Amino acid sequence: MYSDKVIDHYNHPRNVGSLDKADPTVGTGMVGAPECGDVMKLQIKVNPETGIIDDAKFKTFGCGSAIASSSLATEWLRGKTVDEALAIKNTDIVTELSLPPVKIHCSVLAEDAIKAAITDYKKKAGVPETVPAKAHA
Amino acid sequence: MRFYEALDVPPRLALDPEDLKQRFYGKSRLWHPDRFARASPEEQQKALEMTSVLNDAFRTLKDPVQRAEYFLGERGLGPTKHAPAELLEEVFEMNMALEELREGDQSARPQLEAARNRFEQLLAEIDHGLYDMSIRFDEAQDESLLHAIRSGLDRRRYVSNLIRDVDKELNVHLPN
Repeated sequence: MYSDKVIDHYNHPRNVGSLDKADPTVGTGMVGAPECGDVMKLQIKVNPETGIIDDAKFKTFGCGSAIASSSLATEWLRGKTVDEALAIKNTDIVTELSLPPVKIHCSVLAEDAIKAAITDYKKKAGVPETVPAKAHA
Repeated sequence: MRFYEALDVPPRLALDPEDLKQRFYGKSRLWHPDRFARASPEEQQKALEMTSVLNDAFRTLKDPVQRAEYFLGERGLGPTKHAPAELLEEVFEMNMALEELREGDQSARPQLEAARNRFEQLLAEIDHGLYDMSIRFDEAQDESLLHAIRSGLDRRRYVSNLIRDVDKELNVHLPN
């Protein structure tokens, strides 16, 4: 029922851990499943000079697919710019991990966690959320 | 609102349980299939259907939470698919403690019991708020209250599932 890639990420999760939440270059995203106590914490550390994500960590309490989705997400986040990271879609995760339809919500959770971490980082760094032209720098 | 109509009660969020019960008994007697033993097949069928609807209606409306879910569902306000953001930090910490407990660390138990009790208290607060908002909605028909009730019901479901899951683990991983 689980694909080889899910099993691999589950048995050898990449980048498990946490980053200093108080660090202004760290963005934290915390999301949860609506029906149970599953939670996913995903953090990014952004180089303020380059806007590139230097480090990404996660800790997920949930099923194998949720763990694999967030593990894969941290792998993909490292080395990307914040804007590139925003382009990651849950469907990319579904395809990469061959998630069955009943597990698609796990990939949605991972995408939400990425978005939440980036939103948190932008808020801390004072980066405007949308329409940079309107910002008063 | 079929269930309210079947039991002939006003479409309100707050209902008097005793009145509801009396109406259910009264209607059930009226439509009891035994009374239709010599009626036409159509009438017998109708009695069966009505009895079934009455049972569903009473089961749903007698419980304040199920009633509110039904009431909101009929108005197109079904459950939302989001976990309450303000609780996630605490749920995360609780999961950390659960992980320790599963690994045999009984020292995580007091923290889990404390978390469980906090959620129990939160549940009571949510229920109190839901009751209060239901009364206010019945009086004022203020639509914004329905959205607040929706979010209260979602939080309620989330928190009661948490309590259920923690209880299960606390009972499975007992000290030797």
